[in-house]
Amino acid sequence: MFRRDALDEAQYRMDVRTWLEANLPVALRGRTTRPSPLELMPWYHTLSRKGWIAPHWPRQYGGMGATLNEQIIMAEELARIGAPHLPVQGLNHIGPILMEFGTAAQKAQHLPPIIAGTVIWAQGYSEPGAGSDLASLSTRATLEGDHFVVQGHKIWTTWAHHSDWMFALVRTDPRAQPRQAGISFLLVDLRSPGIRISPIKTIAGDDEFSEVFLDEVIVPAENLVGKLNDGWRIANALLGHERLATSNPQFSLTALERIKTMARASGIIADPAFQDRLAAASINVTALSAMFSHAVELTNHEKSLGPESSVIKIFGSELLQALNDLLIEAAGGHALADRPIATDFGEVDVATPFLQSRRVTIYGGSSEIQRNVLARRVLDLPT
Amino acid sequence: MDLYLTSEQALLRDSAAKFIEAAGPKAARGFRAQDPSFSAPRLRHAGELGWLGILVPGAAGGLGLGLTELALVLEQAGRGLVCEPIGLAAISAAALGQGRTPHPVLDRAMTGAALIVPAFQESAHGDDPLAPRTHVAGEDGALRLTGKKMFVCADGADGFLVNARGRDGPALCYVARNAPGCTLSRTQTVEGRKLATLTLTDAPADLIPPHSSSRNAVDALHNLVLLALSSELLGVMEKANEITLDYLRLRKQFGKPIGSFQALQHQAANIYVRIEATRSLVFQIAANNDAFCIDPATAIALKAKASEDAMIVTEACIQLHGAIGFTDEHDIGLYLKRAMLLSALFGNAAAQRRRYIAAADLTA
Ligand SMILES: Cc1cc2nc3c(=O)[nH]c(=O)nc-3n(C[C@H](O)[C@H](O)[C@H](O)COP(=O)(O)OP(=O)(O)OC[C@H]3O[C@@H](n4cnc5c(N)ncnc54)[C@H](O)[C@@H]3O)c2cc1C
Repeated sequence: MFRRDALDEAQYRMDVRTWLEANLPVALRGRTTRPSPLELMPWYHTLSRKGWIAPHWPRQYGGMGATLNEQIIMAEELARIGAPHLPVQGLNHIGPILMEFGTAAQKAQHLPPIIAGTVIWAQGYSEPGAGSDLASLSTRATLEGDHFVVQGHKIWTTWAHHSDWMFALVRTDPRAQPRQAGISFLLVDLRSPGIRISPIKTIAGDDEFSEVFLDEVIVPAENLVGKLNDGWRIANALLGHERLATSNPQFSLTALERIKTMARASGIIADPAFQDRLAAASINVTALSAMFSHAVELTNHEKSLGPESSVIKIFGSELLQALNDLLIEAAGGHALADRPIATDFGEVDVATPFLQSRRVTIYGGSSEIQRNVLARRVLDLPT
Repeated sequence: MDLYLTSEQALLRDSAAKFIEAAGPKAARGFRAQDPSFSAPRLRHAGELGWLGILVPGAAGGLGLGLTELALVLEQAGRGLVCEPIGLAAISAAALGQGRTPHPVLDRAMTGAALIVPAFQESAHGDDPLAPRTHVAGEDGALRLTGKKMFVCADGADGFLVNARGRDGPALCYVARNAPGCTLSRTQTVEGRKLATLTLTDAPADLIPPHSSSRNAVDALHNLVLLALSSELLGVMEKANEITLDYLRLRKQFGKPIGSFQALQHQAANIYVRIEATRSLVFQIAANNDAFCIDPATAIALKAKASEDAMIVTEACIQLHGAIGFTDEHDIGLYLKRAMLLSALFGNAAAQRRRYIAAADLTA
């Protein structure tokens, strides 16, 4: 809305759109929960063969080396056609981390399978006792000669039960002060003996995440990323980019379309009180688009957003929830249906996206934590 | 978030920041209930700096700049609680200078010798500017305006730009303050400024032709008004927030600065998120729209958001000050009142949302 494609970008957008229309299986479009790997990974492999699986990776590692604008266009076109969410821990997290901090051997071993989609990664940061206060994590890794012995318990690990490898933060120095200085970054083969993974069902009914129990798991010393006890810095290095990527207004635009369809079908669209809320929500989607293109403009001019990226994470995630509240309202009595609702205007999924939306203010740093960050690091308020 | 500005734009912003050093709460207080409620020499000074002709093409004697520059100046005007109606004067000059032959009053409007302001509103809740009840009759060269306009910023005004129903649809007309058939009745506001009801009875008027790039002269000016008021509201919020953050760092209770309490930190974060949302909207709209062809739905969205945010933000700023914020003596109340004024003008947040439904085709 606020970003206009340059001529070559417009051409690129058309190319992407045409190819997606021709190649994305219809059954995978518009899904609100992530399909199983059996259904999903062939699509990953198709994108990979096309060379489009990693727009943001440099060419030397098999990526597209795309500009930020091209990456956004790709994300917008994927959202527009309703492409399913891919497992991104490899592409967005450990891949870029290894490019920056990994050894030559680690890069050679792990990057090509991420591009090919032959290995799925999980992120093992959170623990039962360490959520927002991640630095209090207690999964222990003890160096014994040429390997670590890992003992502990990770939780909320997205897709761990479908994953082959997990990158994890582990405690390597229990006495270090501050606590952040005793944490290391390890790559763990999830097929290792001593690992037990059990899926956890979410309120949306899917098993998006798991618990990972680690009992005397042997991890080769060469699976340490960076230096011993330097894991905290590594894990935090790429946070700003991630927040920007997850705030793409396309998700809100999709939600808005869903509300309008549902409201038309239920007739509530004619109600002035509903219209007022719809107008407010739609105005906020316009504001999010403006914030997003503002942030992209700054990033394009190499001004890092830093802690200010919290603004867009708060605004974008809370708006998505407000939109889903409105969706529930538009559906009225239909809202509880456990499957998409058939209407004269097509099928509308209501309960699932609503329930799914509850997570966006929790993960990636909860809304409360983002507000703490803003207050202290941007607004300079005292502790 | 920072703005990405050219060096010329940064210079302009800095000179506007310098201009407002002489404004601020103390000056604004002094103008309360005065007639007019601003300094005429300061308005002429803004004219000398070129700001009143900021959107007027170079050929017609203006600076020929764009919406970003306008927004940068008005953001500062909001910060400084500037009482001179720079925004309304500048966009009126833009309208006067848009035709192939500019209106004769343009030169004086650009120097600040004459103050021309838009007079559009016909009800308390904002109206469709393209469907006014005020009408214009007669032949070109001998036009007559009849109707009533409310909430006109008529303080010190020498003429008005009025939207009226004409033979071929909505038309933009210029009418002089002292024209026969033109009467004003003024009311004092809590903000200090007076607002007036303008009654037109067969008042002689001139037709203002549309800019070549705009859909309609009325539509173009109305969208400019919404952007101008919103830019000022942004500045009002920003400054109120800065004053409040200082207070949160300074004021101690329970043995520590109140800004260390998480409940207040989160309030401060909420305020900041609102300001940033309006800020991104103002400057992204400014950067992506032609001055005479702003997308109406976008302009309405902006005024809705800015009006709502400015009220919520300045109300929260009073709360964060405690009792001192409730006093007339403390400056923070001036920002609330300025927010009240600018939010209400040309339709408050709720009125904008009502118009937005049709403008953005939400129910189609
Ligand atoms: C769908 C989903 C997927 C996830 N995937 C992964 C994954 O793949 N890998 C992984 O490692 N983790 C993952 N997480 C975990 C996520 O990172 C944590 O949920 C998050 O860090 C919050 O921790 P917690 O759940 O323990 O909540 P807690 O930290 O216990 O927080 C509970 C409540 O207290 C608030 N709170 C906590 N501390 C403060 C404070 N200082 N000030 C104010 N309020 C506070 C929180 O905001 C929250 O509202 C996922 C979570 C979800 C929901």
